[in-house]
Amino acid sequence: MNRTSKVEFTVELVRIVTAVAIAYAVALITLFVISDDPVYIIQQFVLGPFSSPRRIGSIINLAIPFTFTGLCMCFMYAVNKFNLSGEGIFMISGCVISMVALKLGNSLPAPIAIAVLFVVGAGVGAIISGIPAIMEAKFKANIVVASLMLNNILVFLAIYLLKYKMRDNTIGFLGSLPLPEVIKFPAVFGKMRVQAGIFVAVIAVILVALLFYKMVFGYKMRVVGNNPQFAKASGINMMGTIIGAQLVGGAIAGMGGTVEILGNYDRFQWTASTQHGFDGLMVAVLARKNPLLVPVAALLLAYIRIGADVVNSKGDIPIEFITIIQGIVILMVAADEFMGGFKKKLIYKAAAEELAAKEKAAQKTA
Amino acid sequence: MAKEILRMENITKIYDNGFVANKDVTFWLHEGEILALAGENGAGKTTLMKVLFGLEKPQTGRVLLNGEDANIKNTLDAIGKGIGMVHQHFMQVPSLTVAENVLLGIEPMKNGLFDFDKAVEMTREVSEKYNFHVDPLARICDLSVGQKQKVEIMKVLIKGAKIIIMDEPTAVLTPQETDELFEQLLRLRDDGHSFIFISHKLEEVKRICSRITVLRRGHCLGSYDLSDMSEADISRLMVGRDVVLQFEKEDPTPGDPIVKVRDLVKINADGKRVLDGLSFNIRAGEVIGIAGVEGNGQSELSDVLSGMDGFASGTVELNGQSIEGKSVFEIRQQGMSLIPEDRMIHGAAGDMSICDNIISDRYFKPGYKKGMFINKKYIENIADEYIKEYQIACDNKKQAVRYLSGGNIQKVVVAREFTTGGNFIIANQPTRGIDVGAAELIRKAIVRKSREEGTATLLISADLNEVLGCSDKLFVMRKGKIVAVFPKASEVSEAELGEYMLGLKTMTEKEMEGLL
Repeated sequence: MNRTSKVEFTVELVRIVTAVAIAYAVALITLFVISDDPVYIIQQFVLGPFSSPRRIGSIINLAIPFTFTGLCMCFMYAVNKFNLSGEGIFMISGCVISMVALKLGNSLPAPIAIAVLFVVGAGVGAIISGIPAIMEAKFKANIVVASLMLNNILVFLAIYLLKYKMRDNTIGFLGSLPLPEVIKFPAVFGKMRVQAGIFVAVIAVILVALLFYKMVFGYKMRVVGNNPQFAKASGINMMGTIIGAQLVGGAIAGMGGTVEILGNYDRFQWTASTQHGFDGLMVAVLARKNPLLVPVAALLLAYIRIGADVVNSKGDIPIEFITIIQGIVILMVAADEFMGGFKKKLIYKAAAEELAAKEKAAQKTA
Repeated sequence: MAKEILRMENITKIYDNGFVANKDVTFWLHEGEILALAGENGAGKTTLMKVLFGLEKPQTGRVLLNGEDANIKNTLDAIGKGIGMVHQHFMQVPSLTVAENVLLGIEPMKNGLFDFDKAVEMTREVSEKYNFHVDPLARICDLSVGQKQKVEIMKVLIKGAKIIIMDEPTAVLTPQETDELFEQLLRLRDDGHSFIFISHKLEEVKRICSRITVLRRGHCLGSYDLSDMSEADISRLMVGRDVVLQFEKEDPTPGDPIVKVRDLVKINADGKRVLDGLSFNIRAGEVIGIAGVEGNGQSELSDVLSGMDGFASGTVELNGQSIEGKSVFEIRQQGMSLIPEDRMIHGAAGDMSICDNIISDRYFKPGYKKGMFINKKYIENIADEYIKEYQIACDNKKQAVRYLSGGNIQKVVVAREFTTGGNFIIANQPTRGIDVGAAELIRKAIVRKSREEGTATLLISADLNEVLGCSDKLFVMRKGKIVAVFPKASEVSEAELGEYMLGLKTMTEKEMEGLL
């Protein structure tokens, strides 16, 4: 039977690569059709993101928030709860830590100030993701509806706070007062200008992977997600585990919002939902809910996005079509039975071979 | 020789998980005969019948009906070609009447609407023709199990089936209902119907079948004339060795009561008293068996004692402490372990490894964890031990349990629940649907644990051989009540047990006094 598990693993890999390849092929064909200078555009789309250290840095910078929200969604997936509040959390955490940072000013030394902001960001995330989690557990609210509605509330709450609590009236656009210098992350890796939040992201991935696969809480989470009935019969505290996982996930999304502000902005100036939370859903699906694969999926998504940006600025292609390509990737990766027939054939073949080998062995001994 | 009505040739079926359920199976069925299809659980009987009924597509092989290639595409096609299947689990709508159920899918119509009167008339016709004595106007939910099965057979007959597959039809019946079913089958056979009768009850096979086709691990061992074979011959063929039908065990030396149940009442969501005033003790070192037709409160009793579900009134004490209002976790801490009725629902997490599955009840205990981390090395050593002790057939301890066979998954469950350190085990259908070898190992382990460690055991089982063989004391449950108590299970006959299970007999409270 070990052959079966091997086959399943191989097919899983092939499946994701194929899905990405098909989406890419569709993109290239579309480019050919709609562009006046397809070769140049394709070149820009495929190679453009790598054409300068600055652009490579941009890929990494964009992958950082994707990593946080992707990790967040891994927790939701692990306990089978589609708590989508990561979207709103990312924005409101960024907003709240900006307010706190403005209050703190330059009064605290940098490490302490940054630590405080991370605690606040994570705390805000945990509290907020707990709202739909508890509504579902206690009042049987539909968690998808509850979290999506909550996102709306959070987005407008953040805009309200920006407009009436920290707006800088001296600038020509809607933005907060400038954030204090001490808390700003430096750019690293020379010309690539990657924000220092990358280190936080790497640490977060490692910690989450440890939590998932090595720690007691992760074990409980996996049992509950895999078979809640079994968890109950084993005496595992289901409600606690389910809510706990969502709180941790929310905290990580909150840290994502914090890192994004500290690493990339001089002022808080988000006036619409950032979509990073939903991108995190896509990243988690691409990573097959495995936290260790989240950064890979995040980089892939960021690469496609930057490619689109390059094309958008250099050629005659609208950015919208990139969204279509992402949709194709997601559809194919999320469809578990895509290439299912191929998998079955391999499994049948493996099983038949194993049977033949056994019979041969039996004949030999006889 | 009668005409050959059905032939299945070289059928090979491999499931998506790589399990080879049938390998080159060939058998045939004559017109007007009852053919037994026998084999241990997991031998491939049900799969073979699913192929015949169009529920599964085989990788190779073909089905011949009256000598012609039938090429059965789906279930509707199979029904159209005169094949009917009486499933082990009835496919019925409980809130509808018998007539509505019987004609489901082939409803008579009048002016574009369902013609209820016609349906009743058609149902009555079939019922009278074959002496079923089922009221077409009765609701399914008011019928007994035996009657429900008759409805199931009528459904098949009214669609014009000539070949009828019966998948373990007696599993849910009492001995008396079984007798009645057999009379009907013989009558239908004489009427020209042919049956494929799946069963592992050898005496039943001997009683009504003329030939037997034996499967073992997906292979067909051949078809034999039953007049030449004894029950022992058949069982040897099925399992490849002599099965110990009798179970040797020492007499119990019961100690103090571990579990005390008094006037236990549980009322379900429909307001029915599913447990109706139960009182009994389970003492250390004693195995109490609970027999009964399924659905008479056995599962509810298991749920209440394990904390999976609450109860309305009465008291339940485990090791001197009440379990009322406590969680499964707390009751487990008090000494309970549970082999649940359905291993894939309550007993294991399919996608997780053997290691992960054996610690689900104890991951929080010292040794199993180091600080906030799982103690992997310690757990792997223990998993190796269990795999050896319980002869769990697997590639390694990190294999996901869903790749194991049913019997081996059950061994994982048993290995966990027998090592919790508790002194009260609820074994709810511990050997259901697993092969004879694994079942024997588990039964022996249950008895050994009670003898050597003084565990109090509650054994709930639909397998009469199992409850009679493993239990020391035996209760019969009916309608949520204990209706009979036998202080020595080994001295009870199946026929006697059947009479209590069916309600022909009930012990008075005086008779049971002092035995509970």
